[in-house]
Amino acid sequence: MSSHAWRPVMVIVAVVIAGLVVRQMIIPRDFVAKNGNYKYQWHRLSNEEEWKRFEVKHLGRDFCKQCHPDKIETVADSGHQNVQCENCHVQFDPEKKGHKSIDLKADYKYALDIGIDRSRELCKRCHTKLKYRPDKYTLFSKGTIQFKLIDPEKHNPGVECVMCHDVHKTGFK
Amino acid sequence: MSLTRRELLKMGLLSICGAIIPLSALEVLKPEALASLIHPFSEKKRWAFVVDTTKCVGCGMCAKACKLENEIPFYADVQRTWVERYIQLKSGEVIIDSPKGARYGFTANDPQGRTDVSEDDITKGFFVPKLCNHCEKPSCVQVCPAGATYKTDDGVVLVDRKWCIGCGYCITNCPYFARFFHPVYNVADKCTFCYHRITKGMKTACVDACAFGVRKIGLINDPDSEVFKIITTQRVEVLKPEYGNEPHVFYIGLDHIVR
Repeated sequence: MSSHAWRPVMVIVAVVIAGLVVRQMIIPRDFVAKNGNYKYQWHRLSNEEEWKRFEVKHLGRDFCKQCHPDKIETVADSGHQNVQCENCHVQFDPEKKGHKSIDLKADYKYALDIGIDRSRELCKRCHTKLKYRPDKYTLFSKGTIQFKLIDPEKHNPGVECVMCHDVHKTGFK
Repeated sequence: MSLTRRELLKMGLLSICGAIIPLSALEVLKPEALASLIHPFSEKKRWAFVVDTTKCVGCGMCAKACKLENEIPFYADVQRTWVERYIQLKSGEVIIDSPKGARYGFTANDPQGRTDVSEDDITKGFFVPKLCNHCEKPSCVQVCPAGATYKTDDGVVLVDRKWCIGCGYCITNCPYFARFFHPVYNVADKCTFCYHRITKGMKTACVDACAFGVRKIGLINDPDSEVFKIITTQRVEVLKPEYGNEPHVFYIGLDHIVR
């Protein structure tokens, strides 16, 4: 074969080799098909560790207990025994954020915003009467109880629930 | 080499008989298959989820906890887990809604913002919490051209945020609509079964937040886990089994109107 035909062939070969070298450099070493499973497990192995290292934010009752053992005891005895503190006390609304005595984020490395929400909207999430809302509560430690449901239009509209109800004791004030 | 007519017929018939035995007929001799007859549940760790819809009151605390735990911007209309409300009227009409993914809960009888639905017209209604089904054969993983989404050995489907190119194939391919674009990272995002919590022996944020015992997570092969007990002793269903994804979120109390 004459030499003019070899030139483009050399160029193509060089491009392919360069491509392979760059590919080898970019793709991480641990990018493999785990268990030989290309269909479902072809991935960067270290990503599994990255997800495991993701920060845990909801720490549950045991965390709150460090400073508020009395509150935890009261709640554990009440109808709200299965409701986590964080369900009501973690705030997304900037106006309701704020933990009074200490800075939880700095002092306890606690990532969420704690605050007090006294709005009817919060209580209504569970306690609004809807025809299709289950009205029996089976998880209460003292047996199945009637789940308290009210019609927010008729049950003292315009008044905050906490005016009369003690949320931690689940009784009247 | 000479061959008689008798030998030709004999060997010919023999090879035809041999050829028509399907490969699958020999599979029973595989050691794993034999072992599975003795131990019906494999020893492999595999996470699964149970949702008891008969207990769900639609408070949406799960959706709220999930958003905050997993750093999904609270006011963005994307959810890793959400709660759907199904209402059937006397006319036969079915109304399905999930206002803001139920992160503020269901506080009024206003399906799809309608005020004309009177309680007397409703024949049945219920809430169905939804999340990623962590399928055994995830169709979202099959279509990823970048190798950015995968199934772990313990059955959890994850997305590699560094590797995702944001093409969105997985989002359109999930039959359960469990995937979305993360508004901050601009990559595909989905429920991880709180992989950072379950691998530390904790429960997922949504399970912890549920005061009604609707949600349960556990190892499907562990005889001590509640998930195992429910799946082996009660009648459970999965969503959209016709897709063949083998989803691993099992539901109690589904209905034919649930999609």
